[in-house]
Amino acid sequence: MTTMDAPAARRLRFRRPSPLHLILLPIALVMVTPLLWMVLLSVSTEAETRRFPPGLPSGIEWHNYSDALHDAPLGHWLGNSAIVSVSCVIGNLVFCSLAGYAFARIRFLGSRALFVAVLATLMVPFQIVMLPMLIMVRTLGLTDTLGALIVPNLATAFGIFLLRQFFMTVPRELEEAARIDGASRLRILFQVMLPLMRPTLATLAVLTFLQTWNDFLWPLIAVQSPEHMTVQLGLQTFQGSHTTNWPRLMAGTVISQLPVFVLFFVAQRFFVRSVATAGLK
Amino acid sequence: MASTALTAPAAKDRRPRWSRRRLGEHLAGWGFVSPAILLIGIFGMLPVLWSFWLSFQDTDLTSPGTFAGGAKYAELVRDPLMWDAAKRSAIYTVLFVPLTMVLALPIAVLLNQRIRGITLYRMAVFVPLVTSTVATGIIFNWLLNPQFGPVNAALSKAGLPKQGFFQDPNQALFALVAMTVWGWLGFAVIIYLSALQSVPKDLMEAAALDGCGRLKAFRHVELPLLAPASGFLVVWLTINSLQLFDEVYVTTKGGPLRATTVLVYHLYNKAFVDFDGGYAAAVGCVLFLVILLVTVVQLAISRRTSFYEGR
Amino acid sequence: MRQPSGRRITALVTGVALVAGLSSACGSGGGDAKKITFWHGYTDVQAETITKLVGEWNGAHPDQKVDPVFSNNDNTLQKTLASFVSGKAPSVAYQYGSSITALTGRHQTQDLTSLVKGDPAVDWNDFFPAARQGATVGDKIYGIPALVDNLGLVYNKKMFDAAGLKYPTPDWTWDDFRNAAKKLSGNNKYGWAYVNDGTEDTVWRFLALLWQAGGDLLDSANKKAAFNSPAGQQAMQLLHDMAVTDKSVYLDTGDQQYLNLFNSGRVGMLWTGPWDLGQINKDVSYGVQYLPGKATHATISGPDYYMLFDKKAQKTAWAFLKWLTSPQVHLRYATQTGDLPLRASEEKLPGYKDYLAKYPGNKVFIDNLSKNVTKARPNIKQYPQISQVLGQAVQAVLLGKKQPQAALADAAKQVDDVLAGS
Repeated sequence: MTTMDAPAARRLRFRRPSPLHLILLPIALVMVTPLLWMVLLSVSTEAETRRFPPGLPSGIEWHNYSDALHDAPLGHWLGNSAIVSVSCVIGNLVFCSLAGYAFARIRFLGSRALFVAVLATLMVPFQIVMLPMLIMVRTLGLTDTLGALIVPNLATAFGIFLLRQFFMTVPRELEEAARIDGASRLRILFQVMLPLMRPTLATLAVLTFLQTWNDFLWPLIAVQSPEHMTVQLGLQTFQGSHTTNWPRLMAGTVISQLPVFVLFFVAQRFFVRSVATAGLK
Repeated sequence: MASTALTAPAAKDRRPRWSRRRLGEHLAGWGFVSPAILLIGIFGMLPVLWSFWLSFQDTDLTSPGTFAGGAKYAELVRDPLMWDAAKRSAIYTVLFVPLTMVLALPIAVLLNQRIRGITLYRMAVFVPLVTSTVATGIIFNWLLNPQFGPVNAALSKAGLPKQGFFQDPNQALFALVAMTVWGWLGFAVIIYLSALQSVPKDLMEAAALDGCGRLKAFRHVELPLLAPASGFLVVWLTINSLQLFDEVYVTTKGGPLRATTVLVYHLYNKAFVDFDGGYAAAVGCVLFLVILLVTVVQLAISRRTSFYEGR
Repeated sequence: MRQPSGRRITALVTGVALVAGLSSACGSGGGDAKKITFWHGYTDVQAETITKLVGEWNGAHPDQKVDPVFSNNDNTLQKTLASFVSGKAPSVAYQYGSSITALTGRHQTQDLTSLVKGDPAVDWNDFFPAARQGATVGDKIYGIPALVDNLGLVYNKKMFDAAGLKYPTPDWTWDDFRNAAKKLSGNNKYGWAYVNDGTEDTVWRFLALLWQAGGDLLDSANKKAAFNSPAGQQAMQLLHDMAVTDKSVYLDTGDQQYLNLFNSGRVGMLWTGPWDLGQINKDVSYGVQYLPGKATHATISGPDYYMLFDKKAQKTAWAFLKWLTSPQVHLRYATQTGDLPLRASEEKLPGYKDYLAKYPGNKVFIDNLSKNVTKARPNIKQYPQISQVLGQAVQAVLLGKKQPQAALADAAKQVDDVLAGS
């Protein structure tokens, strides 16, 4: 583990502000504008959101947040979203790791055709396949349950594809060495390969979470009862056909996106280079 | 592809296809993929087969259909709206995919530096991913409002003519490209970022010892290692851009004058306005074939350029 | 579900094979006779009021309970169709009027003709004609009116004062309207706003213009386009003159900024309905008038409906809806929410005075219902397609990309093709 002391050395460089800020700062501003806009709306009065061009709110109406929480069972829906998203993240990490590894590294009968078949499921627009998906859900007796939101997303073609691509970048020698030592495929996967893939697994976890958390069309048609709604569906209760209560909708939106930000904040630490890479030789 | 991964060693010690070792490999492979394949089979492959079957039917989506043979495909070929939509989808994809990737890579490299506040920058790039499509649409409609939007206000101040953006049939598709590149940039950056993180450090250090410059090391060591990530992005972004729908729905509704009626928007109109389920499925199947073709080509290219696999 | 049994897999395959036939095989079943599901898209005050009314009903009818479930109106049609496939259709759902022809002909959709005609207590003819017409396809009735509205002219008094203009009168002509819009425009202000997203929102205002000029959309048999007429040309010409020549029209991309611009004093006049009045800010002084006229002052109504999708729950659903749309109950609902009355007899109830006192702006819209809502959109399956064609034509004229005559001729040809079934 020769690189373990590297961070300490790097810390010395942290003193002087890097010129890179000059590039990164404008990019960051362009990216966060809509978030600022959302937050501004969420603390405005309704009358202020009904003007154009918009101006800054005259005061800060924090009560929009408590109103949003009070008006609708947002807490319950956040819980549902959490159950669904966490289940899907775990499912994807396990199933897609197994499948992605096999597609990248094991030469088995039909693997090429199977991989293309997996990718093929991504190629028909969702608007067409959503109705037969409903029939599958119905046949399995999952209609209008949280299961209808979880089971179809436990393993995704996206996850398999992503992990397969990254398994391919792991130097083959690492694996060969373990094989010669007589390790089983499963052990190689969990003890050699996956530790190397930490940044990618973190990426998959974040993107899966994001995808299921923000999914709208599938929950819309797969779930009907309020007790099984996710937070994205729930936010709709602030949107009538002609009247939208923007401050409350935006307050609800900010609340609903907080968990995703927290998750990303936690996960991005894993994006930092895994020091194990060099030590494994 | 998985099999090519083994091409080099397999060429060295070519064993009989059904040796004990090979059988073990087949079983291991299938064992590893079976849970995922079962799930994807039920909720992905069967529905795809269903849409294929549906494209030969005359149906309103919920009632029993009647067999229509290839009539829907014939109709599709004759439909000028379909060809226009296909052209727009092609233009959009050709602009969107390279633009997103070309912008994402340098940003990812920047975000891979160890400087103060890097976490905040990473969070910032992540923001558009978290913003819902509906909110994105509202914001861009506001930014690009021809009469009152801030972008035109800035153009006027700079002495440039005001633009129509989403209101101008000649510009709407390009405005859509700009908006979606913004929306997807974070995604591409994250993929590149995690790929950069996976680059074995010793390789970069070795390059540094060999006296490679920073840029040279990047070009010769990191860039080839990013090939699988790039391959993934090309395929994934292409799949998504050919299926562009939500962003159109929340901004231009396919207009003005159909200028942003891309393929899936046309399909949606056919399915949920005209209730011609068979036709919509036929469009879906053609799109399927196109994407399949692009994907297979892309995978073949990325296989050839992949650093370790090609060795 | 890791290892589905052989039977499950067979069931799955059969499921796929039967997809299209499923609805007929499995029927529907969101509720039973004891408790029915009721999808609605009400928010805010409307949601509070409907919850209260449903609670009242449930208290009085413990064996015929209603379970209200929110479903955003914009998604309800898709969601309803999906529910046919997933086998859990709602007993009752609030639907846009434009969704009726998309839902008829599907066997879950209940034909209400015999219920309506067989029960004098419904007093069907008491509903405003526009609402009745929209519920009827051919000679069958598929919906109970849930909302009836129409377009009126809403104007910003301060902007009129500033421009030295007199407020619109009931007998305003197109010329008066155009001139006023022109005087209100300039300096980053617009006289009028037109929703230009090419959807039905674009089309229905054009239909009002067409009818005002004495024209019609289709011939009386609904077999051919009739809008490529002198009346149609006058209507398109007005749009062209105002949007292209005078530049007095703010073209809304469909994000409904027109209302915010009205609130900010940048748009002087709107053609809109009672639903927007509640969103006009308190500091804006506005007036409501009939639409300007050519041959007539015709306006257009876009009624919405309660539709039934579950035979088993029909009895309960019917009893509930009859109660909900009865004059007394609906007037109570309208007094809370500002909806227009559904029935002529609501105007004769004692509570009506309080209603009008609370919503003075609604008077014009209510009078419109008996005076100026003289025509309705044709309730035929092809209407959504016709609407798309017209939306393109109107958009092309507003953007100055086509001359009125050419736009009408092209659209008429396409509509004829749609009606001929090609």
